[in-house]
Amino acid sequence: MNNLQRVQPPVFPVEKVVIPEAKSLKLDNGIPVFLIEAGTEDIMRLEFVFKAGQIKETLPLLASTCNMMLSEGSQNYTSEELNRILDFYGIFMNQSAERDSANITLFFLNKHIEKALELSHEVLFQPAFPEPELNSLMKKRVLWYLVNMEKVQNLAMDQFFESLFGKHHPYGYHIVEKDFENITPSILTDFHSRYYTLSNLAVIISGKIHEKTIEFLNALFGNTSLKKLNNDGSDVLLKGEKQKKVHIHKSGAVQTSIKIGSTTINKRSPDYPGLKILDSILGGYFGSRLMKNLREEKGYTYGISSSVSSFDLSGYKVISTEVGSKYSQKSIDEIYKEIKMLQNVAVTKEEMSIVRNYMSGEMVRMFDGPFALAESFRSAWEFGLDNSYYHRLSEKIRTIEPDEIIELAKKYYNIDELYEITAGSE
Amino acid sequence: MINYKRFTLENGLKVLVHEDRSTPLVAMNILYDVGSRDEDPEMTGLAHLFEHLMFGGSKNIPDYDTPLQLVGGENNAYTNNDITNYYLTIPSENIETGFWLESDRMLELDFSQKNLDTQKNVVTEEYNQRYLNQPYGDAILKLRPLAYKVHPYRWPTIGMDIAHIKNVELEQVKTFFFSHYAPNNAILTLTGNINNYSAFKLSQKWFGPIESRAIKPRNLPEEPAQTNERILNFERDVPSDALYKFWHIGPRISKDFYTIDLITDLLAGGESGRLHTKLVREKKLFSEINAYMTADIDPGLMVVQGKLMNGVELQQADNMINDVITGLLNQKDIGEEMEKVKNKFESSTVFSRTSILNKAANLSFFELLGNPELINNEVDTFRSVTPEMVSETVSRYLVPSNCSTLNYISTRKDRK
Repeated sequence: MNNLQRVQPPVFPVEKVVIPEAKSLKLDNGIPVFLIEAGTEDIMRLEFVFKAGQIKETLPLLASTCNMMLSEGSQNYTSEELNRILDFYGIFMNQSAERDSANITLFFLNKHIEKALELSHEVLFQPAFPEPELNSLMKKRVLWYLVNMEKVQNLAMDQFFESLFGKHHPYGYHIVEKDFENITPSILTDFHSRYYTLSNLAVIISGKIHEKTIEFLNALFGNTSLKKLNNDGSDVLLKGEKQKKVHIHKSGAVQTSIKIGSTTINKRSPDYPGLKILDSILGGYFGSRLMKNLREEKGYTYGISSSVSSFDLSGYKVISTEVGSKYSQKSIDEIYKEIKMLQNVAVTKEEMSIVRNYMSGEMVRMFDGPFALAESFRSAWEFGLDNSYYHRLSEKIRTIEPDEIIELAKKYYNIDELYEITAGSE
Repeated sequence: MINYKRFTLENGLKVLVHEDRSTPLVAMNILYDVGSRDEDPEMTGLAHLFEHLMFGGSKNIPDYDTPLQLVGGENNAYTNNDITNYYLTIPSENIETGFWLESDRMLELDFSQKNLDTQKNVVTEEYNQRYLNQPYGDAILKLRPLAYKVHPYRWPTIGMDIAHIKNVELEQVKTFFFSHYAPNNAILTLTGNINNYSAFKLSQKWFGPIESRAIKPRNLPEEPAQTNERILNFERDVPSDALYKFWHIGPRISKDFYTIDLITDLLAGGESGRLHTKLVREKKLFSEINAYMTADIDPGLMVVQGKLMNGVELQQADNMINDVITGLLNQKDIGEEMEKVKNKFESSTVFSRTSILNKAANLSFFELLGNPELINNEVDTFRSVTPEMVSETVSRYLVPSNCSTLNYISTRKDRK
């Protein structure tokens, strides 16, 4: 025992990730439902997804306000009653409206499935949009907004989206204080009747699925025939701003927020898995080059990361950090240096094997447990993709070669095309 | 029901194992019984700085992260007033690498000046990012010294002054390591795709040879009972006023702990909590309001904090919080509301069991408290709280003489 050799134990390649298939079926009227059986506890996660995101809105804040107002009172319950009942049954309800879709997700113990479904039907299809609740919600939101605008990372991120997608597109426009005054109950009712429809709905369910789930869903959601889908959305063109460098002054800030990036391909592109790997090497994990250089080597920042994200009509990549104000220019220089390095010098075998194994481990985590499984399913399904997307990603992680990394870095990280947004005091 | 096995190695390391075959991963959690309360008042923030240094390489391993990433693992750590907690998840076939990494940094760190210098910078930027460069971010820095005059909870985990971090020397780091990092001052928990037998064998193999160490005895000054209300006003350039009120409560293992927990849920557990319903929805005094406990091991704090709507006076907002709290003394109709928060507590507990990391962190912490079985009987304890216990606890703790108030005043009076 005492002469134990403290060397790394044998390293086993991370087994090919097991991705359970979602069971796909339709309610009596054709609403698509996806079932993912997983987990050890008697709980379920049930997500209602509508194509009712910002892309459909005609006014800033419309999509998010409509989504938030769903739980602020309905035909049969006041907002207080709704919240009290949800809390009484220990049902957690998350609401969110993103760029492309909007959803309501419920987490509950299986024994409360009927209550959870009844309330979700009420919230989704019989909201009342009462004016007093709307007014007080908007007053609160102005204050939240003003607090957010004190943070350099938010100032920089808002400008980043505007620069990439344009001042007039729902993917890009800034919210201003005046926007909070423009939403009325009738605008919400109109938006709701167009986009929160049965024909615009899909349901994703995971957990230890209750045997009567489909029966209950059919009784509440499956017996009304679907009307024709209303497919209109923003007709504004996606168009980036000309100016690549923008600085937003925030007096007194002790750190500067930096966002460097541009629009890029989304999940539907065959190059996307490779780009994900390139992004990981650059700034996608703790051992990434940016993290090693700017944090672990130089101590300019508490953290730096890069990411690639997909929207329905586009995608973007961004390098994101907050650095001590005096390190701002040095940090920007280092970021470009790291990009150029990826374009010119082949990644070593050792680094390739670290990133391959780290990402394979990440994939195991992406499919571990009922909540992670549902989220991974949704984020492929929304782009019309199925598990073959993850199989391709997994395959690419195992097989990509350094030459391809260089090619991808040249193709997707053209420095002249990158936007450079900063927010801070200098 | 969460089944687990416990055993203690000869060197004093406590090990807990919970097998969950529904996941391909293993979670490994290692808790060191050292936090910011164990620091010298002249060198605060050291426990947290030390957590950063733990990733800078150990006796036989130059870099902690790389080998872990090489086996598909992921890790992180946190420090609070009481403990320093390290955790990782790893595909089960490679769990032995986790044992190798964690045991080597328990054995001895590679104390390097370069790493110390860099991490001092990183922690300074963390301090800037979390506390100075966020609106209301410095409230927590003001709050602790108001509530505590003697006990080391008077400084925040990041340190009471960033100069303390800048002045730390390598020799002091070494001393800190050998007086707090040791098998007999740690709890190792494994959850997920691993059985008791191999967990025991691997623990014995990798941690068994590390000798136990002399731990610096903990002699913390007891905080004297507060006898008068404390109020602190200060001004900042923020969009609206904010109010923080906090009361001293008992220690983590006291009988009242779950009663206070239930009280914070009655006040602020979800949208239907009393504070939100009455002060945000009905009276529109706050844009947001919350109540929670610090959950410290030594006597901690119950906190109510909220941001005011513009035009509302701080004094009025303060009075209304007190009204809502006094309202808890009225036991009429409280029964259904108590049932509600108990149901929600049960539901949250079940949800937290879907994560092997949560299970591992909880088992370690409950073992530190001397009662790992809390993982299975917390719900019953919470359910056994009665309306009488609520009103008794409110009248004992939530009184003005035991309260400190921080008025965080916006200088933008033009908005009113």
